[in-house]
Amino acid sequence: MASEDKAPRPLGDLERLVMEQLWAAPTALTVREVHEQLAGTRELAYTTVMTVLDRLAKKKLTERERDGKAWRYRAAAPREELAADLMRDALDRAGDRREALVRFVGQVSDEEAALLREALSRLDGQEQTG
Amino acid sequence: MITPVLLAVLALVLTGPAPAVLARSSWPYRVPRAAVILWQAIALAAVLAALGAGIALSYSIAGRPGEPRFDPSSPRDLVAALILAMTALVVVRLLWAVGRVAVGTRARRKRHRDLVDVLATPDGLIPGLRVLAEETPLAYCLPALRGARVVVSVGALDRLDDSELKAVLAHEQAHLRARHDLVLEEFTALHHAFPRWVRSDVALEQARTLVELLADDDARRRNGPRPLARALVALAGSPAPEAALAAAKSATVLRVERLAGPAPNERTLSTLTYAGAVTLLVLPTITIAAPIVKAIVDAVS
Repeated sequence: MASEDKAPRPLGDLERLVMEQLWAAPTALTVREVHEQLAGTRELAYTTVMTVLDRLAKKKLTERERDGKAWRYRAAAPREELAADLMRDALDRAGDRREALVRFVGQVSDEEAALLREALSRLDGQEQTG
Repeated sequence: MITPVLLAVLALVLTGPAPAVLARSSWPYRVPRAAVILWQAIALAAVLAALGAGIALSYSIAGRPGEPRFDPSSPRDLVAALILAMTALVVVRLLWAVGRVAVGTRARRKRHRDLVDVLATPDGLIPGLRVLAEETPLAYCLPALRGARVVVSVGALDRLDDSELKAVLAHEQAHLRARHDLVLEEFTALHHAFPRWVRSDVALEQARTLVELLADDDARRRNGPRPLARALVALAGSPAPEAALAAAKSATVLRVERLAGPAPNERTLSTLTYAGAVTLLVLPTITIAAPIVKAIVDAVS
């Protein structure tokens, strides 16, 4: 359970940058290609990129295929698709999935929205008089 | 024969009428911390009473009380063994539900965290904050042993001023610090442990509301009630599509109205609630333990 959290933060940031490269690329990229693109903006070891791509593959965020002696990586799904998955998970409070996340607020009806505004104006009134 | 009956009645009262009455009362919202403990005590006491009823019934049916040997030729002993086995089955089912919920929740959260890490940008405002480029106003936390994250969407940031954002983040960090997710997990597991026709979701719903109130109280202590109430109203701005939602006052309305009132300070009420929780737990435990202790004492002397 704890292992999923052990990753040092810099790798997590790199994962995002690597995914952005893969999403932007029209074809699958080799480790070297990803490394070259990222090395332009920051100091980065080739093996680090390899590790990050491997981690992303384990998380099922990338897929890889053989190309001669090298692996070519591409994003397992378009960015929009993953974002939609995430939003569905974050917003879904129905059925058995609703314990997954605890959101700050749920949805309210029109009637409740009016109640909310009324309570808030009471509170604002208190602040001004008190 | 009186003990199993008493325990069975206690278990029934604690699964049906007691939660229903408690869920309709408004006083628990004045003492959310004590109320969460009370709900946990009710749930645990109901389980203990149900198991105790099984054990006590089996014990009182078995051939001769205090006789430790099991006699397969005695029908009474066989019935007693059957009841004991059924009780054990309830325990297994309960543990299975706890395990399944724990594994399922963690797998789903891990996938969500992986997605957040590649889709949302870190923000230096607080450690673990991730900003998601989505228009839907959204704020939530992803609890974890280490590396917990708070996710806020751009849509939420657009609707909040600095003090409101601070209040939201304080609320989310209160959830993470207190591990409210574990409290909810207990109630979710219990909810899943019982067949659909006996379980109700009042306990789970109440626990959910109460932990929100706890996190609200924490944020209120830090920044006052106003920014938090304003943030709640700002983010709850999108009305639900289903009209059915209007049937009961939602937790959001309850929270804002509570923030509009005076800060809760209910020493007596919370002491009474804690006392009630302890009593509930002691009651079935003593009734189960008493005959067993008595039998051991009888066997020894």
